[in-house]
Amino acid sequence: MERLNDEGQWIVLMGFMVCVGIFFLAVIIAQSTVVGQTTSEGVLEFPKNDIQDLRSEVIEIAKRGGTSSLKADLKTLSMARKNAVVECSITPGAVNDSYYEYTRIILHFNNGVTEFDETFLLSRPKTP
Amino acid sequence: MVNDQAQMYTLEGFAAGVLMLLTAYLVLGTTTVYTPGDVHITDMQLQQLGSDALAMMDTPNSHGDTNELVNIINTTDHELFDDSFMANLQNLTESTDTCIDDLQYNASVYYRAASGEVASYPLATSDRGDLVSREPAVRVTRWVTVNGESVSEIPEAADRRNPQLVLVEVLLWRG
Repeated sequence: MERLNDEGQWIVLMGFMVCVGIFFLAVIIAQSTVVGQTTSEGVLEFPKNDIQDLRSEVIEIAKRGGTSSLKADLKTLSMARKNAVVECSITPGAVNDSYYEYTRIILHFNNGVTEFDETFLLSRPKTP
Repeated sequence: MVNDQAQMYTLEGFAAGVLMLLTAYLVLGTTTVYTPGDVHITDMQLQQLGSDALAMMDTPNSHGDTNELVNIINTTDHELFDDSFMANLQNLTESTDTCIDDLQYNASVYYRAASGEVASYPLATSDRGDLVSREPAVRVTRWVTVNGESVSEIPEAADRRNPQLVLVEVLLWRG
C-alpha cells in the first residue's frame, strides 16, 4: 500500500475553514426568510392596540366617575366584537392623602391568548 | 495489528460527509412555502397603519378640545370620516404620485342596545369599500365615548345614553 501523502495539509485545512465560514453565512440567510414571518405573527397575535385603547378608555370612564352603563358597554362590546373578557372595577376615593384623592382602577383583560391585569391609582388634586 | 495508514483520508471523508449532511439539512430548511393565508407581514403593517390612523383621529388637536372621531360619530358625518381617515392612511413624505397605495376600507359602529344586544350601523366606506366578500381584510377598532342622544343612527328604542361607549370597527384591505 502506498504511504499516506501528508503534503498540502494547510491547503486542506484552509479549505475546511472556508467551508465552515460559507456554511454559517448560509445559516444567516436561511434565518432571514423566516424571521419577518414569525415577528409579524407575534405582533398580530398580541393585542397591543386593544389593550392600550382599553386602558385609556377605562381611565376616561374613571374620570367621569365610573358610570356603570359605560362599563356595561365596554364589557358587552368586548365580548361580542373582540372575544375578550373585560372586567373593570372603579372605586373613587379608595385612597386619600393630604393633597390628592385617588381612584382605584382594577382592569382585567383576557382574549384567550393574552391576559392582562392592571391596578392603577388615578390621582385628582383635592380642592383646598 | 490495525493498519493505521491513510488516517488523513478517513478524517477528510468524515468531514466531507458531515458537511454534505449539514448542507442537505440547510437546503431543506430554507424552502418555506408561503400560502396566501400565511402572509402576515403585510397584514401586520396594514393593521398598525389603521390603528395609528384611528388613534390620530381620536386625539384632540389641542388640550381640552373635542376630538374629531367623537364629532364624526355624534353627527354621523360620512364624508368627514372618509376624508380624515384616508388622509391619515395615505399621508406620505413624498408626493402621492410617486407611490400608489390602493387602500379600501369599510367602517361601522357597534353599540349596546337596551336589551344588552349588540347592534351596528355603517359609518363610511371607501370607493370600492362595500366589496368585503373576498378581500383579505384586517380589522382595527377604537373605543369612542360619544353623546348617544345625538347619534341619529341609533334608534331611540335602543336606549341612547349620554355618555355612551361605542366601538368603531374598520375593515381594511389593499385592492
